[in-house]
Amino acid sequence: MKPALRFTLAHARHLISACTLALGLPSMVLAAESPPAEVHLDYAYYSPVSLVLKHFGYLEKALPQTKVSWVLSQGSNRSLEYLNSGGVDFASSASLAAVLSRANGSPIKSVYVYSRAEWTALVVRKDSPYQTVADLKGKKIAATKGTDPYLFTLRSLQQAGLKKDDVELVHLQHPDGRTALEKGDVDAWAGLDPHMAASEVQAGSRLLYRNSAFNSYGVVSVTEKYAQEHPQTIDTVIAAYEQARTWSLEHPQELAKLLADESGLPLEVAKLQLSRTDLGSPQLSAKDVLASKAAAPILVSEELVRRGVNVDQVIDQLLDTGRQQAVARQ
Amino acid sequence: MSSNSKDLSNPHLALSPADRTPLFDSDRWRLRLKGLALPVLIIVLLEIIVRIGWLPAYQMPAPSEIALTLGDLAEGALWKHISASLLRVLSGFAIGASLALVFAAWVGLSREAEAYLEPTFAGLRSIPSLAWVPLLLLWLGIDETSKVVLIAIGAFFPVYLNGVAAIRNIDRKLVEVGHMYGFSRRRLVRRILLPAALPGLFTGLRSGMSLAWMFLVAAELIAATKGLGYLLSDGRETSRPDIVLAAIIVLAVLGKLSDGLLAGLEKRFLAWRDTFNGTED
Amino acid sequence: MPQALLDIHVARKSFATTTVLNDIHLQLQPRETVSLLGPSGCGKSTLLRIVAGLEKDFEGQLLSHTEQLAFVFQEPRLMPWLTVQQNIGFSDDDHYDKAWVAQLIEEVGLSDFADALPKALSGGMAQRVAIARGLYSRPRVLLLDEPFSAVDAFTRMKLQDLLLQLAERHAIALLLVTHDVDEALYLSDRVLVMDNRPSRIRQELAVQLPHPRDRRDPLLARLKALALTELHRAHVI
Repeated sequence: MKPALRFTLAHARHLISACTLALGLPSMVLAAESPPAEVHLDYAYYSPVSLVLKHFGYLEKALPQTKVSWVLSQGSNRSLEYLNSGGVDFASSASLAAVLSRANGSPIKSVYVYSRAEWTALVVRKDSPYQTVADLKGKKIAATKGTDPYLFTLRSLQQAGLKKDDVELVHLQHPDGRTALEKGDVDAWAGLDPHMAASEVQAGSRLLYRNSAFNSYGVVSVTEKYAQEHPQTIDTVIAAYEQARTWSLEHPQELAKLLADESGLPLEVAKLQLSRTDLGSPQLSAKDVLASKAAAPILVSEELVRRGVNVDQVIDQLLDTGRQQAVARQ
Repeated sequence: MSSNSKDLSNPHLALSPADRTPLFDSDRWRLRLKGLALPVLIIVLLEIIVRIGWLPAYQMPAPSEIALTLGDLAEGALWKHISASLLRVLSGFAIGASLALVFAAWVGLSREAEAYLEPTFAGLRSIPSLAWVPLLLLWLGIDETSKVVLIAIGAFFPVYLNGVAAIRNIDRKLVEVGHMYGFSRRRLVRRILLPAALPGLFTGLRSGMSLAWMFLVAAELIAATKGLGYLLSDGRETSRPDIVLAAIIVLAVLGKLSDGLLAGLEKRFLAWRDTFNGTED
Repeated sequence: MPQALLDIHVARKSFATTTVLNDIHLQLQPRETVSLLGPSGCGKSTLLRIVAGLEKDFEGQLLSHTEQLAFVFQEPRLMPWLTVQQNIGFSDDDHYDKAWVAQLIEEVGLSDFADALPKALSGGMAQRVAIARGLYSRPRVLLLDEPFSAVDAFTRMKLQDLLLQLAERHAIALLLVTHDVDEALYLSDRVLVMDNRPSRIRQELAVQLPHPRDRRDPLLARLKALALTELHRAHVI
């Protein structure tokens, strides 16, 4: 082989896609993409890798001419709201929450899986008399609308033969929901890590009902328009995320400490959260699409989406499994 | 033939038009139609703009879509939310307004009471409405109590302020008539001060009502299980701007109706006022 | 001599540092009409208010006084939310004597306006209501503070005649404050010309003409000249 062809296949593919970009295929925006002037991302305590990314500045190093700004997200509902209003370019949310948003008309696309965690469960106080989900009929449950814990609750209720009108769902953001539970203002709380872990460790709260299958994985999403206009930026961001993920896998102790420091919670809590978090497979696959489709019916049965919406179609449009290559390249 | 002609020969001309309103006055209907012109225009324009695509539908749904959503809601949980909100706003308003009237009478009539109470009320009044929320949630929990109290606080201050001002603005000359007759304090209040302060009181009540609605939404956005504010946040959290707008429309309608009720009462009780009514260009 | 209806001596009346009234001796006989004539600010209104009991802070004494007084202010001061008849019967709340009110309404010439609101009345009509209100309590003395100064000259003359009629019919004494020389002379049995501040009674003019009087009567003109001379001497004009 000539020296020039000693490029690996991956490099070749990279060169080809760079050429096609430069040639400006019709489906892409005219000019070759220059680094954007600004990029806005969110970070959250329910996405430990985002904390690493922000802390070490991998993205800032990868995009030296770009102003990178960070917004704290208190939950999927908030991050999706920021995404839809243009407050962030990249939003971290639960995948089912993203499906709900897309199903209701938001033109978003999920490009990366930042974690697969058992991050939600139904929590009760340590001295609570309730033993099963069915016991919660007619009771008050704090749950943040539009987030995975909320959807977890609905799925758990459905399994116990109840509908959302059979209980009183109080809309409180995650940290307020924890406070409400511990103060006794509500009977149960749809918890989210790290607040859930904190409640377990600090207040002795009990997980009334767990079901890892009812948890959906966490995705980073962008708007369709952004995906069309800044595909390279997306790749860069994903690459930076991958750097952070690799570091996380190699430094679990430091990760726990970082999570504890950022969230202001004890190390024990951070460790508990990380023990139920899987950072192993960041790419969206066909399996994920199926999992989402299996979960989606709850959105229809509880009338969270408009009538006549084809949720399966929505999921196909939402989950960008084509990013596999970008991720695998690392 | 002006409405204010003081023609001694025909006393009925002395009564102003407001005192004799026939039921199907074409003038009034024409007035109503003029009022509808602007909203209708806006709705039609919006419908066109969204359908063309100048505004993205996921940020601003078309009016026809909002109408559909309203229809859906009306078949379902809308009435539950409306009654929850109405109950809260009316009880909060009733409590806040009555307390305000009592305090306004006290402070308005007594310089002593004013000296003691007014500075405190002035301080409390300057607390921004939403700042009360975390405090009330902490002290009173997330139940109905904290919401009704928040609404009562909202209704209190306009009614109180206008009440005190109304009493202080009473024409001293009228009060002197009472003194001349040797009226006791109570009789003075009942026969002169209260009726004379009524215009100002009504202004305060209407203002308090609109603030009560505002505080209702604030209360329901924070921690509620039902109500129009809850519906509003529902739409927000699940990316349903059509629900958000539907909730806003219902709130606007209810607000207008409650204000209209007060305005009607005001008109009935204050028909005696000799005031400027605008010109008919 | 029968005791005077009113006998009042004001040694001194001050507002803050200004002395307004100085050594005034005033008497009023039953059925008598007396006018206090003087410039604005000379204290005549204050004197009237003292008589009415609206002003209690003065040095002096009330040697003779009656509780059966009524006051008619410069402005009608009707309660705008009450009808004409409710205004007239104001002192008796809701259970006013309807028949008596109706009679008074008729006497002041407002028969068709019993249920009108004050905003529908002209200035002259409103003042009639005020007078009727004054008469409602069947007073023995009617105190009037420049009652016709806010109406036009022709209405004023009509109202003056009305006042005289009513006083005659109901046997009421009138104590009237005015700055109109003609009015004082036309209405009164005695005119008390008052000084500038601090005020006293400079001159007492007796008008010995029977009622009804003719405004063109030369005696009135002569008395007017006397009054004007005195007022001029007092540097009022």
